[in-house]
Amino acid sequence: MVAKDFELSGKVALVAGDSKYWSKYAGAALAEAGANVAFAARNAKRIEEAAGEVSQRGQKTLTITTDMTDASQVQKMVDQVVSEFGRIDILANANDLQFAKPFLDTLESEWHKMFSANLDPVFHCCQAVGRQMVKQGKGRIINLISCMAERGVENCSAYGAAMGGVLQLTRALDIEWAKHGITINAIGTGWMSETEKTGAPQEELLLKYIPVKRYGHPREVGSLLVYLASDTTDFFTGQLLYVDGAAMSHL
Amino acid sequence: MASGNGTLQGKVVIVTGGGTGLGKMTALLMAKEGADVVVAARRVGAIEQTAQEVRDIGPRALAISTDVTDPSQVNNLVKRTIEEMGGLDVLVNNAGIVRGQARRPLWEVTDDEWRIGIDTNLSGTFYCCRAAIKHFVDQGHGKIINIASGNGMRGSRGDFMYGTAKAGVINFTRVLATTFAQDNIQVNCIAPGFVDVTQLQPEPRAGGMTRNAQYIPVGRFGVPEDIGHLALFLASDASDYITGGLFPNDGGGLAGGISPTGYAPVIAMEEE
Repeated sequence: MVAKDFELSGKVALVAGDSKYWSKYAGAALAEAGANVAFAARNAKRIEEAAGEVSQRGQKTLTITTDMTDASQVQKMVDQVVSEFGRIDILANANDLQFAKPFLDTLESEWHKMFSANLDPVFHCCQAVGRQMVKQGKGRIINLISCMAERGVENCSAYGAAMGGVLQLTRALDIEWAKHGITINAIGTGWMSETEKTGAPQEELLLKYIPVKRYGHPREVGSLLVYLASDTTDFFTGQLLYVDGAAMSHL
Repeated sequence: MASGNGTLQGKVVIVTGGGTGLGKMTALLMAKEGADVVVAARRVGAIEQTAQEVRDIGPRALAISTDVTDPSQVNNLVKRTIEEMGGLDVLVNNAGIVRGQARRPLWEVTDDEWRIGIDTNLSGTFYCCRAAIKHFVDQGHGKIINIASGNGMRGSRGDFMYGTAKAGVINFTRVLATTFAQDNIQVNCIAPGFVDVTQLQPEPRAGGMTRNAQYIPVGRFGVPEDIGHLALFLASDASDYITGGLFPNDGGGLAGGISPTGYAPVIAMEEE
């Protein structure tokens, strides 16, 4: 249950992007707050599952299988959402293709893939949805990114560079669209997992280092997402906020 | 004869906390470039020693025993500098550090410890800037270099006063820079990382790393020269358009820090 002032009743949200789990948890949080939620991503099964979370909560939903790297498919998808729901109040960009490899071994194709998977979809969605939001004179965009947009981690150069691109796009569009009533913010996530342990190499080393000594669960991002999507944030734009268990505060 | 290129020839510099460590190194590096140096700190023996080493290099030097938490002593420092050295061009606020870190439970920190930590590391910088800046405005130029810390940009466990005061120094720098930008006064801030002021050989990265060294990507502690050379740059004419800047000098620590040094994941790209 969200606070009354943060309720999203009657609003239309679009959760766009390919990521392991963000569509599911972002969709659930937005629906819990009262929004109808459309999903777009390439993986049909994943967005069907996310849509299930929305209908379970009694809200309307829609899934559109979309190649987010293709601008014309994204435009078609956005047109379809607008024709079904009449408007788009909230856009959550949730792309997270992870990849880590020593920089000197990174292939050019892998470098480009990082950008086409993590940054290009944000460009396409912000353009297609942005046109609609400018017309509406109002909108909320929330980009889910990683703390690596701001800080380096060994072997994560290509991933971090792509995430940094999303962050800077966030800041630039904030300036460009403030006059249109569109706010755009980013949520920087720390080390997340749906399970307590993942079995990844060096897991103990990492968990000992994170100040809260555990992974964040993706559902812990939902409340901030809802807050940023709510009507209370007209003056709140261009910012990067962390959900990271104090990883970014750490010296 | 100073052994440098004379880039600070004819300039008068005050270095607080100039008896030891970073402050001393800053004083000596500036002296090599021709600056006359006023060395200020509480301990007379240490500042006399630095002053003598400055004179050995060539320029004039003065040691003025000063507790920067006492505004009247600070005012006297600036007044004497101008009277006896004939001017003041650069102020390096380096005093602090020692009395700021409690490393005990917060509820055991006394009012006095809090005030001393904040006074030494933040109020001292305010007193020195206040005493010097009117002179800078009147003469139409001046440079202030504040030494803060990476602890003022991030949280270090149990570091209540020092880190908080240093964060204050960082923003005080920006406020001064903005306020006096049109008076041709440049105010900048250096945030050192872990600096080995004992000049001991840094321990090698593999094996035997101390608790702090493991956070430093370059694998060694900073040495006083790392900081002193940056202060030298910021004191020189080369930095005349740079003001309000925050310059971490930390072996790369602040660029990372969300994972432990040595954490290097390998993740294959997932195809859908």
